[in-house]
Amino acid sequence: MAKHVPGKKGPYIMLYALSTCPWCQKTKRLLDEMGIEYYYEDVDLLSGDARRDVMADVERWNPNRSFPTMIVDDSRAIIGFQENELRNLLKV
Amino acid sequence: MSMPAEVNADEIDQLYIRLKKEAESAGYYLNPDIDFTKMLVKSLITNEGRYGYWACPCRLAEGIKEEDLDIVCPCDYRDADLSRYGTCF
Repeated sequence: MAKHVPGKKGPYIMLYALSTCPWCQKTKRLLDEMGIEYYYEDVDLLSGDARRDVMADVERWNPNRSFPTMIVDDSRAIIGFQENELRNLLKV
Repeated sequence: MSMPAEVNADEIDQLYIRLKKEAESAGYYLNPDIDFTKMLVKSLITNEGRYGYWACPCRLAEGIKEEDLDIVCPCDYRDADLSRYGTCF
């Protein structure tokens, strides 16, 4: 079950992250700082079917399976920590 | 999978110095944001504790070394990421 971070409504954001990944931490920090609502999953802390299901979705959007992989409105993926792109996209 | 265990600050500093020397001798540079880079070093140590090798902190390890060889730091995707993003992910 993805974790929910409450905040201002904007595009639907699903952030696939790793608890060990500093770029993922920077991405979460930026979203927190902007006060945007989002969902996230630290995939390395999952196991079994939950991990397999999540990785199938990550791979669908990002065949390189790298993190962070952020799915926006279930229609596009932002791969890596892309500060400018995120700030432009999430102007609220 | 458990949360990352605490990692000793001295251990992080020592590995940071070693990696900086090794990277620079090979023509690469660590991120000049030292706090960020030390976070990365800490995660390498965490993954060494979890899996027994330096699985990339930004890629999901299977926990079986033979299957993870491509993502052991410095991983097979480093140069492609550097070319595309200016940094590895």
